[in-house]
Amino acid sequence: MNRVFKFILIIFMLLVVIGASACIDEETEGTAEGAEAGEGSQDLVVGVGTDVSSWYLDMFASGDARFVWAQVYETLVRLDSDLNVIPGLAESWESSDDGKTWIFHLRENVTFHDGTPFNADSVVFSYSNQSYVRQAVLRPVQSVEALDDHTVQFVLAKPMPLPFYLTHIAWPVMGPSCLDAEGNFVKPVGTGPFKFDTQAKDQEIVLTKNEAYWGEQPLLDKVTFKVIPEAATRVIALETGEVDMIIKVPEYDVARLEAEEGIQIHRKLTTFTDFLQFNCEKSPFDDTRVRQSVAYAIDTETLVNEVLEGIGEPAGGRAYSPVMMYSDPDLETYTPDLDKAKDLLEEAGWKDADGDGIAEKDGEPLHVTLIVSKGVWAARHNPMAQVVQGTLREVGMDVEIQVLDEGAISKLESAGDFDMILRSGYFVWGPYPRHFFVHHSGNPYSHYNNETYDQLVDEADMTLDSQEQEELYHSLQAFVTEEVPAFYLVHEEKVVATGPAVNGYVISSEDPWLNLSGIYLERT
Amino acid sequence: MWRYIAKRLAMVSVVIAGVTLVAFSAMYLAPGDPAEVIALARYGDDLSTSQIETLREAEGLDAPVHMQYLIWMGHLLRLDFGKSLVTSEDVLSEILQKLPATVELAIVSLLVSLLIALPAGVLGALRKNTLLDSGCMFVSLVGVSIPNFWLGLLLIWLFALILPLFPSFGYGSLEHFVLPALTLGSSMAAVTARLTRASLLEVLGQEYIVAARARGFDERTVLFRHALKNALLPVITFAGMQFGYLLGGAVIVESIFSWPGIGKLLVDSIFARDFSMVQGCVLFIAVLFSFSSLVVDILYAVLDPRIRYDRSD
Repeated sequence: MNRVFKFILIIFMLLVVIGASACIDEETEGTAEGAEAGEGSQDLVVGVGTDVSSWYLDMFASGDARFVWAQVYETLVRLDSDLNVIPGLAESWESSDDGKTWIFHLRENVTFHDGTPFNADSVVFSYSNQSYVRQAVLRPVQSVEALDDHTVQFVLAKPMPLPFYLTHIAWPVMGPSCLDAEGNFVKPVGTGPFKFDTQAKDQEIVLTKNEAYWGEQPLLDKVTFKVIPEAATRVIALETGEVDMIIKVPEYDVARLEAEEGIQIHRKLTTFTDFLQFNCEKSPFDDTRVRQSVAYAIDTETLVNEVLEGIGEPAGGRAYSPVMMYSDPDLETYTPDLDKAKDLLEEAGWKDADGDGIAEKDGEPLHVTLIVSKGVWAARHNPMAQVVQGTLREVGMDVEIQVLDEGAISKLESAGDFDMILRSGYFVWGPYPRHFFVHHSGNPYSHYNNETYDQLVDEADMTLDSQEQEELYHSLQAFVTEEVPAFYLVHEEKVVATGPAVNGYVISSEDPWLNLSGIYLERT
Repeated sequence: MWRYIAKRLAMVSVVIAGVTLVAFSAMYLAPGDPAEVIALARYGDDLSTSQIETLREAEGLDAPVHMQYLIWMGHLLRLDFGKSLVTSEDVLSEILQKLPATVELAIVSLLVSLLIALPAGVLGALRKNTLLDSGCMFVSLVGVSIPNFWLGLLLIWLFALILPLFPSFGYGSLEHFVLPALTLGSSMAAVTARLTRASLLEVLGQEYIVAARARGFDERTVLFRHALKNALLPVITFAGMQFGYLLGGAVIVESIFSWPGIGKLLVDSIFARDFSMVQGCVLFIAVLFSFSSLVVDILYAVLDPRIRYDRSD
């Protein structure tokens, strides 16, 4: 018995020692950190929602990882804060007449963080077959070749507006020295204004200033990204001054933060638009009139004002955020009209005969499901779904909301076993209107099959003349508002909050970017 | 005793074998085609059917389910938990990396809860039916009723924002322990305090206590030497079980306070549909839970000489 007791005692003591030693280690670390952050320091602390799980080009940099990537890595082509295309690591580019060959002239005298020169080989390496972007997005790319040290040629199977694609920060140029001799990833090597320093998984990522940066020198010496998944905790961390800046501020906290002294709210319309996607292959939404009825019933202005605290812009069916390229400013959007909505339903054969408020057709009540994802957008999508439910009830549509996780949604989608899904924009980056592929019949998730639409999308994507392209995209927008394969609800607004020390921040429209250039700190 | 431990270990291994089966089949019972959801997690929306098929082959998801299970078990026996489906990192090393943070938080929370619960429970029992007693029990009722995420946010609001005493999130120094441990510990303390009080009251009513008093021991001796020792037995069992629960990951608390532990890892993996990581976490938690309850049982025997496991065999 004595031995057993000793054994247990030893185990417990071990546990306590492990615990204590870990505490002590980190405590010394903590104080060192505190001492560094003296007065006048230019060490910015940013609160983000998710950690960087991958630093290498064979994986898509998802979530907030892209904000961090954008400081370390750079793209050949860039966007300014209003989404205009500007030179990045490439100074200029040109395409052949058929739009299938693109040549990029690279900036000279640029070096990677480890001192190796940036050249054509590193571009070839970054867009090799191993890269995620070649496998998933740039499938039409047939070859990437170095013509000389500072010229790279992309050959495509079909015309494609390649420069737009190359602005996405998840597909940057990386130094081949990211890899060791055996081809294993060692550390991120980029050309950006900040160098990778350390990462404590799910806690923080520390970057330091790149003294040899080719562009405008950053004013900050160090940037620490703190990983705080809970939005409420992130907001409090800003209020307590534990972080200087937070991204993805929840809509319902904006008014309160705005009233607080020293805290500044920065808002800007993004390229993302929330939408109700219909299953156009199945009754009742296989009937255009029923879809139009939904469009007339829902008041997107109320949605923005009541649910999203006025943050965002009512879309009224417009597929494109006004910040997008070729967004048609004169597009006729929907103004709510309940009578018209009811009429359209009746035309389609749905009429409330038994007086219970729900329309019927052939004795079947008009019962539909609305799927909402449990993911990151749930906080805004759940209340939006409830408003949609309430509104559609008024025109005689009985909506059942299903809150499901992504796996369950993709299963129902594959089986075509759904009526409506509430989504946030996808196939969206930069100003380029690629989102229209969502309703293309070639997309396995589209559930909309319209030959005219498919042709328009393909043609618009492959047209080189920008005047012609604009016309095509304008007609596509009119097509979507008329045919309503999806009803577009709200153009999202991005919200970033900064604390009292932060000066010179300019918010950008492009979601994967976090523009830190020009920021400097003044701590009192 | 040793025979008992051997028997319990055998039982634990049966339990763990069962858990492997559940953890594995959960992946197939969960809606969605695993290859498709993994491809979505890895490549984003922009994926093609051929990519899904490539991934299905590469990850061995095209084999029959029972074969996949046997292959997985084979790897497990060699302590190979596989690689994360989303990030390709080694599952076991990832878990081991997160474990210290969770173990530390569990220990500190347990201490916090005992520090609150034992005095409160003892006071409640000694001053039975007084205002002090009702006060203690009322507070503990409130404690057990408040959900962890709400209490956590309240504590952050009070102790980080209004009275800036402690950091609101993160991990790294002793100060970072205060709020999460208080959140976890106080909700546990509520139940423990009630249990302590009830148990002590029961013991105090027993004959040997009356006898001890009759023999002229002062109240203090009766309480500490005779009553408490026995009254604490159920409390220890309970605390031990709670410890297992804490190790299993105080999921919500870890998320609120950005605590880089195993609970948060599990939640993140579930959201990312990272099945191999989820399976690894579930299995690991099951093992920890089983062993912590084993330790509790043994501790029980040590503390109460009347319990002789050998004899009952």
